[in-house]
Amino acid sequence: MRSKKDKKPTILWFQGVTCNGNTHSFFNLTNLEQLLNHFEILYHPSQQSTLTFDAITDCKEEADIFIFEGAYDPSMKRNDVLISDILEYYAKHAKYIIGAGSCASFGGIFKASAPKRNSGLIFNEEKHYGPLLAYSQKVINLSGCPMHPEWMGYTLRMIANNQEIEVDELHRPIELYSNLAHHGCARNEYFEWKVDADNFGEKEGCLFYKQGCRAPMTHASCNKILWNEVSSKTRAGTPCFGCTEPGFPRLDFFTTKTNMSIPADVPLGISKRSYLTLSAIAKTFHIKRLEGKLIDYKKTH
Amino acid sequence: MSVGDFYNYFTSKDVLAKELIIYISEYLGKNIQKINESGLSTDKKIYEIVSMYFNMATEKPEMIEYFLRVYLSNREVFGDCCEGMICVSSFITEMMLFFDDGVESDELENQDFFSAFGLFMGYLGGMVFLFGEKILPEPLEEYKESISLNIYNALKKR
Amino acid sequence: MITKKLIDRIEGEASIYFDKNGDKVKFSTIAFPHFRGMESILKGKNALDALVITPRVCGICGHAHLMAAVRAIEDAYKNAEHKIKLNDKIETIREFTLIMEMIQNHFKWIYLTIIPQLSKLAISSKTQTPLKGAFAASIATKAIATFAGQWPHSSYMVPGGITCDPTNIDTLKVQSYLNELIGFFEKESLDISLEKFLSFKSCKEFEGLEGDIFDIEKNLFKTEMHNKGFSYDRFIVLGAHQFTKPSKLKKTRPFPINAKYVSTIDSYSPKEHSYAKNAQYKNNFYEVGPLARTMAINLPIIKNMHRRFKDSAYSRVMSRIFELAYLLKYSKTLLKSLDISEDSFVKSVNISKISTQGIGVVEAPRGPLMHAVSLENGIIKSYKIVTPTQYNIGSSTEKNPTPAQKAMIGVSQEEALFIFRTFDVCSVCTTH
Repeated sequence: MRSKKDKKPTILWFQGVTCNGNTHSFFNLTNLEQLLNHFEILYHPSQQSTLTFDAITDCKEEADIFIFEGAYDPSMKRNDVLISDILEYYAKHAKYIIGAGSCASFGGIFKASAPKRNSGLIFNEEKHYGPLLAYSQKVINLSGCPMHPEWMGYTLRMIANNQEIEVDELHRPIELYSNLAHHGCARNEYFEWKVDADNFGEKEGCLFYKQGCRAPMTHASCNKILWNEVSSKTRAGTPCFGCTEPGFPRLDFFTTKTNMSIPADVPLGISKRSYLTLSAIAKTFHIKRLEGKLIDYKKTH
Repeated sequence: MSVGDFYNYFTSKDVLAKELIIYISEYLGKNIQKINESGLSTDKKIYEIVSMYFNMATEKPEMIEYFLRVYLSNREVFGDCCEGMICVSSFITEMMLFFDDGVESDELENQDFFSAFGLFMGYLGGMVFLFGEKILPEPLEEYKESISLNIYNALKKR
Repeated sequence: MITKKLIDRIEGEASIYFDKNGDKVKFSTIAFPHFRGMESILKGKNALDALVITPRVCGICGHAHLMAAVRAIEDAYKNAEHKIKLNDKIETIREFTLIMEMIQNHFKWIYLTIIPQLSKLAISSKTQTPLKGAFAASIATKAIATFAGQWPHSSYMVPGGITCDPTNIDTLKVQSYLNELIGFFEKESLDISLEKFLSFKSCKEFEGLEGDIFDIEKNLFKTEMHNKGFSYDRFIVLGAHQFTKPSKLKKTRPFPINAKYVSTIDSYSPKEHSYAKNAQYKNNFYEVGPLARTMAINLPIIKNMHRRFKDSAYSRVMSRIFELAYLLKYSKTLLKSLDISEDSFVKSVNISKISTQGIGVVEAPRGPLMHAVSLENGIIKSYKIVTPTQYNIGSSTEKNPTPAQKAMIGVSQEEALFIFRTFDVCSVCTTH
């Protein structure tokens, strides 16, 4: 008979109102197979699982790690069972509860499907609210739309190693969410000297002033550990949309909200007075190198 | 103090000019900061800014004179040591914060910064210039209310 | 007596209600129970917000939604007399990332859906390696992310072009990912070279070969899938791309096609409310997807397959596999043609000047995806999405069944469930 010590921790991955983006993001994890060998998958929406979906909704088995992807809708049923009952059952018996993605963490995009009804597991945007409030101490939120696969990889590996995961006030692991998406952006020099990008599709220019980049206000390690191991939104010239924060989704994604040409939101923790003093000065300089092309190809188009 | 003594403290005319302008900008900036942090409504803040500016023009005419006539019309005096508007940053920052708060609280119409700034400062500068030329029939303070109201009406949310 | 079967692992879930004669399916209806209201979420928002929100309709084909959205907005520009002229570089990079998403989808479907389900049906005890599909997909998505920043959920396509401005560093890296992927496919799935596989003109040439793909082929024969799963034998392809040809096909005869004849009707699902609407072309049901696309370009092996096995479940599965191979080769050619010195973005008037309608159609992994937007001063008045699964897997009456319903008639319930999955179902897209 196997001793309890030899038994692999069990994972149950369950979905609410979702697009499956977090599932597909997780599939991109390097060494996925190696990681999963440390666990037994009781159920996953796309992978080989020990149990059938019918067995899961019967709520007789327990899982050590309960992963929930998607927004919570109290009226939603799966296999004719209310997900509120399913969540309550598994949350009670799990050691860890992981909110995979912004919808499970804060409500996200699918809160917008029914703004007065839907929410995340323990947060409704920033307010403490949700079906699993009673189990808050077990909840780890991996916000992101979708979450980065390495964030789930980190969390599961820490659990497999019995290491404690420290979280911030939004229950996000501090080792993953202490950086800003701004840290490591390849356009940093343009931010420093306040050289705006005039259009899309150029290597030059900062996307903060006109294109609505939220990176200086967003906790994420996108520009530190990179997406798909190769790039990030801002490295591909797309502004950050702030998808790891409770306020996502916002409005008017590709434009910066300004009051009399002054950015309505300034980098996290920096007073507007300080920020404006610095930028107003920087903006009046004209630095030839930064105003020209980054790479001056000799041939013409 | 003789002219010669002056140059014991400042190495050149340029440096003296730069120090003066920074002093004036910070003086204005500090006063506008107090108004920004006062919690008053935008129309009252406008009155306070106009009032402060006109008071300065009346009590310390040389400062405003210098700011308007020397700095703005003789920028070459400052040479390389005052690139861009670095010397007046304190004043500009406080005006930016004033406008930002006004739009955020829905009292001012959102528009380009320079359009609004130009209207405000150009108007004040024009009045002080007329005052300096002794063209205004009344003392400057008599115009505070009407000027403030005009500025507010021009910039307020439609 | 009607039996209900819950299907999971279809990017969501659905319930099939089987009405059987003995142990053979007489008729079935399909219900998709979940709804998120993406179209109403978009109402009142700035048109460009659609580029962020519509990819969230689906986690596996969000990139196709992005392209459909940008095409719809650019079509609105054209209708407002501000036509944006895109250059080859923009079209090539957009096409390339779209194709790579299709490739990652097909890899996952082969290894995570078809092999497990077919092995169950064929009672095969061969060890399965589903994560091969995830690994292959991750290489494909690396190639996407090099241009698009990330996958899933990139928004790198904007009206007028793309946000990235790649250098040769990027294109060379993408070339090497593509080569790695082809090498993986050859070694792990085919056991022969890609060129050899693409040179086949007849299904007979599959005989005697080993490799995951040919195991699938053998099991399809073993389970008689070449004699089952027949549907209407008529197809449509709507998206304008270089790798296929928009057309309507009645068996093999091509006809011209126009997206304006697409319509949707409520589905017929008496046992349980379904949020999916059925999509039709000129008020008829047509099959969409890889079989349609490969038939439309007259690939010799697909013609041969169709001649022998019509639109059976065999043809449906093998054509998707063949499309994967075809697209791997095609994307290499596409990448070679890329000229990075062209502009990435063509400037036009601000979106707030646009008050017209626009339609964007792309070929998503499962078939045509259509976004229709109506704008007023750049704000979305209405937004309508029609997804490929709506054409294939709607639920209609016994007299006039949808392609999937028709394909499931006359087989056992087990077989019907497999045939259902050969259409590559995407539950979240269907209901959006």
